[in-house]
Amino acid sequence: MANSRLYRILSRVVKIKQGEEIISLLLFLYFFLIMFPYYIIKPYRDAKYLVEQGSRELPIAYLSTAVIIGFFVAFYSRLQVKVNRRVLIISSLIFFIVTCILSRQFFIFRLSWIPLVFWIWANIFVVVLVTQFWILVNDIFNPREVKRLIGFFGSGGLLGGILGGLLTGLLGFERPDDLLFIASGMLILTAFVANYIFIWQRKQRKEKAITDKVDNKDGARWKKATKVGFIDCFNTVRKNYYLKLLAVVVTITFIVTTLIDFQSKTVIEVKVERMDEMTEFFGYFHAGLLVLPFFLQLLMTSNIIRRYGIRFTLLLFPFVLIFCSMGIYFWPGIIFAVAIKSSDKGLSFSLNQSVRELLYIPISPEIKYKAKLFIDMFLNRFAKGIGALILLIFIFVLPEAEWVKRVKFVSIITFVLILVWILINLKISKEYTNTVKQKLELKWDRADRLVAEKVDVDYMKLVFDTIESKDRSSVLYAMHLFDLIKQDKLTPEVKKLISYKSDEVKVSSMGGLFESGETTLFPITDDYMSEEVLEKEIEEIMSLDVYQEVMKDYVEKALQDESMESETTKMEVAKAIGLMDFDSPLVQKLEELLWDESPEVSKYALESAARLKRREYVPTIIKKLQSLLTREDASAALEKYGSKVVGTLEDYLGDSTEDIELRKGVASVLSRIGNQEAADFLSWELAESQRDIVNELIDALDKIRSEKPDVQFSKEIVKTEIVKETKEYCKFFIECYGSKPKRREAGKDKDPAESLDVSLLNIFKLLGLIYPHVDIFKAYQNIKTGTKESMDYAVELLDNLLEKETRDIVFPLVEDLPVEERVKKCRSLLKSIS
Amino acid sequence: MQIKSREKNDVIIFDIEGEIRRSDIIDLTLHQMVKDQLDVGKRNILFNFKDVEFIDSFGVGEILASYISTHNLGGKLKIAKISKKLFLVFQVTMLTKVLEIFDNEEVALESFFKD
Repeated sequence: MANSRLYRILSRVVKIKQGEEIISLLLFLYFFLIMFPYYIIKPYRDAKYLVEQGSRELPIAYLSTAVIIGFFVAFYSRLQVKVNRRVLIISSLIFFIVTCILSRQFFIFRLSWIPLVFWIWANIFVVVLVTQFWILVNDIFNPREVKRLIGFFGSGGLLGGILGGLLTGLLGFERPDDLLFIASGMLILTAFVANYIFIWQRKQRKEKAITDKVDNKDGARWKKATKVGFIDCFNTVRKNYYLKLLAVVVTITFIVTTLIDFQSKTVIEVKVERMDEMTEFFGYFHAGLLVLPFFLQLLMTSNIIRRYGIRFTLLLFPFVLIFCSMGIYFWPGIIFAVAIKSSDKGLSFSLNQSVRELLYIPISPEIKYKAKLFIDMFLNRFAKGIGALILLIFIFVLPEAEWVKRVKFVSIITFVLILVWILINLKISKEYTNTVKQKLELKWDRADRLVAEKVDVDYMKLVFDTIESKDRSSVLYAMHLFDLIKQDKLTPEVKKLISYKSDEVKVSSMGGLFESGETTLFPITDDYMSEEVLEKEIEEIMSLDVYQEVMKDYVEKALQDESMESETTKMEVAKAIGLMDFDSPLVQKLEELLWDESPEVSKYALESAARLKRREYVPTIIKKLQSLLTREDASAALEKYGSKVVGTLEDYLGDSTEDIELRKGVASVLSRIGNQEAADFLSWELAESQRDIVNELIDALDKIRSEKPDVQFSKEIVKTEIVKETKEYCKFFIECYGSKPKRREAGKDKDPAESLDVSLLNIFKLLGLIYPHVDIFKAYQNIKTGTKESMDYAVELLDNLLEKETRDIVFPLVEDLPVEERVKKCRSLLKSIS
Repeated sequence: MQIKSREKNDVIIFDIEGEIRRSDIIDLTLHQMVKDQLDVGKRNILFNFKDVEFIDSFGVGEILASYISTHNLGGKLKIAKISKKLFLVFQVTMLTKVLEIFDNEEVALESFFKD
């Protein structure tokens, strides 16, 4: 009950699912409780340092931090190998509680090095606690869940920062040193929350172990993930191109952030001088800096990422900074100093932090853990060190430069760095999609494509026909052997296969000529007649006038014969005609055989028609598509005619008065021909047709797309069809799961669940025509049959592949949603599409 | 190519030897020899291919032309002792359905009387 109330409340502000409410709230609170004390410590640290050391000494602080963080990360990596995560997190918190109180006491001695040590300590504080928090989030949630909830968690941290900053602003002027006691108190609360999260997690695992018994795998992964050292972390990033890009982006981001921090602090130092004033200023300043990102994070981050995608979000931050950087160059006053710092902090805590976490999504948990340790804990501080070095070099080269000159110089460096940052962001967004693709496997391919790739269908058919003809007619058998010889396919294996049980073969009409032994079944092995000669001789014999004359009477009699044996004779004649010349008189008899009521005769006649490719046979062959018994042979025959029959086929396809089965067959033939013209005709027909043959048209287009990647499809038509098909899907879905299911008349209506599947498949086939085909089908297969995680990756892939207008239509159908919510979405989609 | 003819039980038997090729055309072709026999009233013709090594399409044309000439006059033309290769050629071209082909001469001769 309590949970469902909590769910109702939370679901108003965040896209939360049932079961996630407690852990989401705990993580929100956890992050809140980390950032609250940090935003007390941070203004205090800044004020202390600027007042006692001055902004010119800032590069020393940045550089020292970078170096010491490097050592610290190495130490921390070793520590986390030996200590389990729960103990490590709680111990870290206790360490920071104790050292925070001790710092308060040390400041009493007013030693010159204390502000620097405190600066470094504050940086270690935020690096350790924030990294631990995000690793925990990544352990608990899968990618899609993180994408959905990241805004909520982030806003917890921002809220903590705002309140911490405001409190510092309020109390900073009166008793700035005592603020550290408040920070310690907040950290004690953080330790309790963190501990409770681990208790919750253990409970969840136990429950999961009972229900699906797969818990051990996760447990193993957890243990394995903790056994890594610093070098291992470094090598993990070094060996992975995607992670290397990510590392470069993080490095540049933090160099820029350091430079911006220096610029803003230089300006502030000029304007505010006293320690108490500065603590108060920084308290309010930092709190103010976080108000914008808080609302951005809570209300817009997820929406911006969902709506505009990762690439846009990645580019937003550097573009805003480049604008501010130019601003401070031309107007180096307090307004742009605050603006550039606000933009940096505002977007870095909201959009940039979220999108950076998203970039880790497609990486496997083990690698992600190592990469995060290296990048988030070490590299960002190291980057700050590089930033500090740049500043130190500048101060060394121009020691007497005025503050305005310093600010302007830094702007130029920032500008150049941001340009590089933008370029790498473009690259990383591309790599992100590729990495998501790699997470998905293609579970199956189109059956016809697989068969076509792996099996030579015509060859297999010929071998089987040869075997089958052994029992039927020695003439047919010889003709099939001749076909095999002609195609150079009478291999020893085929001979063996054909000769199997050869003693049962009825070759009696040949008397002793075809004796029942393997060798005599293949008499064409003598040296004097090579295969080429045999082929040539047969061709020449059949084109002889005397041959045509001799056979004329026989063929005419065979065609008129209605006896039981006539079927075999007609089959022989049909096959023999296929060996004749295009212009031979007997060829005209084939049309009669094409119309023969025996499917076997028809089959042979169709094969011969395909060899001769005479135009007058085409209407008859097309009519043969009508019957399921002859459709395949007719299709194969028309396929062999190729592009020259595409126009004729289109006439039949577009004629709604034609038999529907015939039109379906025509669609299939066009897909087998599969050239640009066929694809165009199918697309136009799809746009024009009623829904009677829609499935066949879409399947035909999909077949062409899968086999002929060069063929282009009209985006306009395909997008319109996606909308139409989505409408159908929504109707079926509402019919299946809506509150008032429609009563179906038995045998009259289609099963809506089945129609739903067909409709979804059609949508993906259509998507595959205008987006990368393999990727779309990877996504489809994983959505239909994958694990929850692979389904999430599939949706993520679509998120990155599809354009916004298409995504808006398709996503309600594929996202992991409760049925009631999908019904609602289908209803609203139907309204919006209409 | 050498062609010898003999008569047995009112059947004219042509014993052919060598290869029947377009390139080996002799003055008197097989068809012409058959026509000569038909002209003198003979109606039963048997080709004995026992010693024939090879027959090309021209040779087959000769056989078929002889068949038509004999058939048109109400006679019968049969073949004996054909090679396995040639039999396959005749099968593929369906000529086995029209021409009567036998394993040996005796059986072929008997068949004339049975008819």
